[in-house]
Amino acid sequence: MNCKKAHVLMSCAVDGELTPKEEKEFLLHLSECKSCTEAFGEAKKTKLIIREKILRVKAPQSLVDSVLKLGVFPGMETEKNLIFDQIS
Amino acid sequence: MDTQKSSEKKKTKHGKEVLSKEELKKQQEFQAEAIAHINSLYNYALHLTMNPDDAEDLVQETYLKAYKFFNSFERGTNCKAWLFKILKNNYINRFRKNSREPGKVDYDLIKDFYHSIKDTRVDTTEADSDYFHSLMHEEVYQALQSLPEEFREVIQLCDIEGFTYEEIANMVESPIGTVRSRLYRGRKLLRGQLENYAKKYGFNTDTEE
Repeated sequence: MNCKKAHVLMSCAVDGELTPKEEKEFLLHLSECKSCTEAFGEAKKTKLIIREKILRVKAPQSLVDSVLKLGVFPGMETEKNLIFDQIS
Repeated sequence: MDTQKSSEKKKTKHGKEVLSKEELKKQQEFQAEAIAHINSLYNYALHLTMNPDDAEDLVQETYLKAYKFFNSFERGTNCKAWLFKILKNNYINRFRKNSREPGKVDYDLIKDFYHSIKDTRVDTTEADSDYFHSLMHEEVYQALQSLPEEFREVIQLCDIEGFTYEEIANMVESPIGTVRSRLYRGRKLLRGQLENYAKKYGFNTDTEE
């Protein structure tokens, strides 16, 4: 494998989605190529950046509550706790 | 939207409404399987609509539809992926028509959006302290938003939501090879953007080790 091919596979390698054959050749190339090894490290970092830097918010409680009521028809006195009441 | 509910109700001899056994079972299973993904769905909806009210509507609709068709959910497969696909279809049908033009980035909108969700954010952990880590949340978000939609979408689904290529392929209705090449090209563009930001702060973006 040459560096060009290794660079094309890098994104896929970061996700662990290479075929076994590709992975074997890719890792073999990395073991022989310092610059590709470094580039692979950077590629992994980019993925991590996205995961870390994009803010995650919690769904509003009103939304959670309304979804929890799905299947429970309106007008039931206990509403949210209905299923649990019925089980016990 | 709620018309099908009436057929699922039945009355006891006291005239009190209760859920049928099957409906109760369905509801329990639905709650166990589907509700766990509500935060992920809400975040994805926020990124798509950039508006908390629309996001809430979108998630609500998604769950309504998911509940209605829960019997067609293939047990044992990824429920989160199934819900995401429903959400995406809903989004296309309802919101996309009047969405912004692809490739155009409204930075003010992003700023406002970030400002509006900042207070409720879930804290993230930050380890290293190299130039990429100096990037602001907002900048990474802007960089991501500046990508053409087909690239941004797969990066979000892969890096943020952790779906496999197969799951993403199914969601975006494209072959796995397409997902793979979109990720490759999208990340290349994204990296270029991020390096621009980093350079702005005087960080050396040449590979250092």
